[in-house]
Amino acid sequence: MGDRETGVVTLKVNGKEITVREGTLILDAAREAGCHIPTFCYQATLSGVGSCRMCLVEIEGQRKLQPSCVTPVMSGMEVKTESESVISARQAMLEFLLSNHALDCPVCDKGGECELQNMVYTYGPRKGRYAEVKIRHHEKDYVLSPVIVKNSNRCVQCMRCVRVCGEVVGRGVLGAIGRGAHQEETSFLRSYLDCDHDGMCIEVCPVGCFMRRPYRYRARPWDLRGSRTVCPYCATGCRMTIEERDGEVVRSIAREGEGFNDKMLCARGRFGYDILNSGGEERLTTPLIKKNGMFEPVSWEKALSIIREQFTKADPRRLGGIASAALTNEELYLFQRLVREVLGSGNIDSTSRWDAATTGAFIFATGITGGGVSIYDCMEAETVFVVGGQVSEENPVTDYIIRYVSDSSRKSVLVASTRAMKLDTSAELSLRHLPGRLGALFNGLVLTLYEDNQERLEGIKEIGVLKGRTVTDLAAECGVSEADLRALCARLESSGSISMVVGTDLLRFREGISGLRLLGDALRALGKVLKILPVLDRCNQRGAWDMGVHPLFGPDYRKVERAGLGCDGMLDQAMDGAMDALYVVGEDVVNMYPDRTFAEEALSRVGFLVVQDVSLTDTARMAHLVLPGAYPGEKEGTFTNQEGRVQHISRLLEPPGQARVDLEIIEAVGSSIVHGFSDGTPQTVFDEIRREVSMYRDAAFSGGSPDGWLVKKSARRLEGFELIEEKKVSLDADPEHPYFLVTGNHIFLSGSLSRRSGILNELVREAVVEISEEAAGELGVIDGQTVSVSGRGFDATYSVRIRKGTPREVVFIAENFEDKAANRFYKRGDVVPRVKITA
Amino acid sequence: MLSEKVKEEIRGLFKKYRTKRSACMAAMQAVQREVGHLTEEDMREVAEMLGINPVRVHEVGAFYTMYNVQRPVGRYHIQVCTNLSCSLLGAEHIVNVIERRLGIKVGQTTPDNKFTLSTVQCLGSCGTAPMMQINDDYHEDLTEERVVEILDGLE
Repeated sequence: MGDRETGVVTLKVNGKEITVREGTLILDAAREAGCHIPTFCYQATLSGVGSCRMCLVEIEGQRKLQPSCVTPVMSGMEVKTESESVISARQAMLEFLLSNHALDCPVCDKGGECELQNMVYTYGPRKGRYAEVKIRHHEKDYVLSPVIVKNSNRCVQCMRCVRVCGEVVGRGVLGAIGRGAHQEETSFLRSYLDCDHDGMCIEVCPVGCFMRRPYRYRARPWDLRGSRTVCPYCATGCRMTIEERDGEVVRSIAREGEGFNDKMLCARGRFGYDILNSGGEERLTTPLIKKNGMFEPVSWEKALSIIREQFTKADPRRLGGIASAALTNEELYLFQRLVREVLGSGNIDSTSRWDAATTGAFIFATGITGGGVSIYDCMEAETVFVVGGQVSEENPVTDYIIRYVSDSSRKSVLVASTRAMKLDTSAELSLRHLPGRLGALFNGLVLTLYEDNQERLEGIKEIGVLKGRTVTDLAAECGVSEADLRALCARLESSGSISMVVGTDLLRFREGISGLRLLGDALRALGKVLKILPVLDRCNQRGAWDMGVHPLFGPDYRKVERAGLGCDGMLDQAMDGAMDALYVVGEDVVNMYPDRTFAEEALSRVGFLVVQDVSLTDTARMAHLVLPGAYPGEKEGTFTNQEGRVQHISRLLEPPGQARVDLEIIEAVGSSIVHGFSDGTPQTVFDEIRREVSMYRDAAFSGGSPDGWLVKKSARRLEGFELIEEKKVSLDADPEHPYFLVTGNHIFLSGSLSRRSGILNELVREAVVEISEEAAGELGVIDGQTVSVSGRGFDATYSVRIRKGTPREVVFIAENFEDKAANRFYKRGDVVPRVKITA
Repeated sequence: MLSEKVKEEIRGLFKKYRTKRSACMAAMQAVQREVGHLTEEDMREVAEMLGINPVRVHEVGAFYTMYNVQRPVGRYHIQVCTNLSCSLLGAEHIVNVIERRLGIKVGQTTPDNKFTLSTVQCLGSCGTAPMMQINDDYHEDLTEERVVEILDGLE
C-alpha cells in the first residue's frame, strides 16, 4: 500500500532503493533507477496492454513473473529485472516471436533500426528450436495507402499500430483480425485506407510490418545523413529529422525524446519532405528579370543593382514589404530592419490573408505578449475549450496531443466550431455555430456567467454592452441552441482551471476577438486559472509577430512611431497607383489574399515588384524581378511555434544553382543600399534578436533542451489594441446562393508550399468541396461526385466530400488549390462568401 | 443489404447497452441469424449503425468462431468440438463419420447447400464429450450411430 499521506512509494529495484509516485508502473520506476527493461508493446503515450511479455520481471514473494509495463509499484516491493528466470523468460519470448517471424531482414526496410533485431542481438537466444511451418498471412506485401505498405509476416503483435490509430490519431481504422498466432493487424479486409495517412502506424511499428511506401528499398539507416529541423507546415512546430542519401531527401522522421511531439507527425510532416527534391523546372535557381513580358536569367550583381536603383528612388511611403510567416526569426527580424531602417517605410506585413488591426487585437486577446504556454501545461487544466478553428485538420498534431492526453486523463474537452471535426468524438460537448458568429457565442457565454455571478462580474465595464441582450437571442444569433450554450457555460463555470485553444477563425472572420477578451476577463474575475493557446497555421507566424513584421508594432511589440500599412492597405494604395515598389518574400499574395482578382489587379499596378521565393508562384509570375530563395531544409535558423517555443533548424542541403538562403539575400539587398547593413550569420542575428526582443533574452540559438525554449513575457505592453471595432458579419438570406463558404487548410496541405510535394499531392488528387449530409441529400449527390460551386463572380467544379455533423448551410473549400483557389470566391471585404452548388 | 427487420432489431438492441458500440456482438448475431453468415457489406452496415469503423466489427467476427465472416454456410452448420476432452473421447472419429456420410471435408458445404462442416474449439460441454453443435442446438455423448441418426433426422 502506498503512503497515503505523501503519495509516494518506496521499493527496491535490483537491490537499489528508490522512491516514486504512487501509481507509477514498475517499468518506469526501474528506468528511473537506471535499470533498462526491454519492451515491444509499451509506448508511453498509449494505453497499456501487457501483451508482448518482454518486460517480465521477478517480484519477491510472487510465484509468477509479472509484466512491469502494466503493474504499478507497491510499497516494499523487491523487483529483480536481471534474475535468471527473467533472462530466460526474455529469451523464450523472443524465440516465440521469431518462430513465426518472416526473418527476411536482408530485404526489410527496417533492417538496421529494427527493435526485434536489436532485441535479439541483446537478449535473444542464439538459435530457435521451432521446426514447423511458419504462418504466412500473405505472399506479397500489400499497399494500404499511397504512403503505407504492409507486410504482416513480420508482425510481433504488439498492437502499437492499432492503439496509436485509435488513441492518438483518433481514426481507429486498424484492427487485430483473428486470434493467437494467426492474428493480423490490418485494415478492414486489408482494404485501402481512408484515413489521415500520417504514418503514425509506421513510426510506432517496432519491426518492418508497416513501412513508408515512398522510402521503400531506398536506403539503409546507416546510409543516411540527417539534420534536425522543424516541420514547416503549420505552427504546431513538430520536431523532426530529415534524412538524405546522395543529395536526395528520402524521409522525415520524428523520434521519441527528440522533441515535444515525440513520434508524432501528421501526413504533411512525415511525407511532405519531397519538396526539397522538387528541382527541375519548378524550382527557381537563378534571379529572373522580366523583359517584354518574359523572364530572363540575370546575375545577382545586376539584380541587386536594379533593386538598389528602384528602392532608393521611391518615396518611402510608396514602398513596402511582405514577408511570409514561414521564414526564420532571423530572416524576419532582418527583413523588418530592412524595410524600416533601410527603406524608411512602415509598410510591412507577414500575411496577406488577415488585416493588421485584427491580428493586433488577436495577439492582445490571446495574450501572446505574456510569453509562451506549453500545450502540455494547457492540457493540465480541468477543461479544455477548443474554439475558432478546425484543429483536427489544420494542426493535426495539436489534435493528437489534445486527444491522447484528454482521453487518458479523462479531461473534459469542449468544442465549438463551424464544421464537424475529428475531435468531436473526444469531446464531452461539441457544438456547431454559424460562421462569423463567434462574437455572439462568446457574448452568450459571458452573459450566462453574468446572470449567475452578477456581483463578482460587476467590475468588468465592457459587460455593459451586453445589457439589453438576452442569452436566448445571442444563442439564436450564433445558431446554437440555448440549452447547449448554457451547458457549455455550466462546464466552464464548474471548472477551476480552463485552457482555451483558439484558432484562426477569429482572424478569418475578423470578429469574436472582443468577445474572447471579455470571456477571458469574466473567467479570470471568477477566479479561474485561464490559459490560452493560439492555434496558427504558418510555421513561424508567432515568430513573425515577435520580430515585429507588422505595420502597427515593431520587434518585441514595441509601439511604432508612425503606423504603416499592412498588406491590405498596401494593395489598396497600389490600386490607386501609389506603390512605387514592393518586396515580397515567400508569400503567395495572389493565391492567399481574400479576393484574387483584386490582388492581381493591385499587384499589376505596383511600380516595381520584387518577389523572392523557391518557385514561380502566381505572385512571382507578376514580378518585375524574381529572386531564388531557399526551403527550410536548406538554411539554419529558428522558428517560434504557436506555443511560443523557439526551436533551432539546421541545414541539410545547399540551395540549388544560384538560389540563396533568404537571410543572405535580405542582407545583400540591405547592404546594396546601406553599406554595412548586416553581414551576420543566423547565430549573430539571433544574438541581436536576444538584445532587441525582451521575450528572447535568455533563449538559446541551438542546443539546450530537445523540447526547445518557451519565450518569456515581453517587457513591453502591447498598446493600441484594447478596443477594436468589429463589423457584424452579414449572414442575410440569399436564395440564389444558399450556402456559406468557409475556408482553411486541407488536412494534407498547408498554404501553397505543400502543393509542391508530389507525395502529398497523391493524397489529394483533386480539389474537394466538403458539404453536410443534409446538403448532399438536398442536392442528391454522393461522395466523390463532381459538382459545380458558384459564387458571385467565380465558379468551378469540385469533388464532393460529405461530412457528417456539419450544419446544412456550411460548405468548405481548402485554401490550397491554386487552380481552383478558394480566394476567388471572395470579393474584397467579404468574410463569409455565399455559394450555390449544382450537381 | 440488411433487411429492415434486422435493422429494427439492432436499433432495439441499443437500449440494452450504455453505448451503441457495445451492441456489436448481438447485432452481428442478429444479422447472422437471418443471413447465415456475414458479408463485407453487412459488416459495413452494422459498423455504420454502431458508429464505428468496419474493422472493429471484423475484429469481433474474426475472434469468435461462432461468426461466419464472409463464409456462407448451409442450412445446417455442424460444428464439432475437437478440443482436448472431445478429442480424447473420439472427436476425430466423429468428424470422419460426418465427412463420409455427407461426402464433404471439414470447411466444406454439401452441393445441395444443406450442410456445412466445421471443427471448433471448446464449446464448454466437456462433461458430455464428444459433442457437436448444429445451428443453435448441442448434441452430446456422441457415438457413430447417434451421429448418423441425427444427420438423417434433419429435414
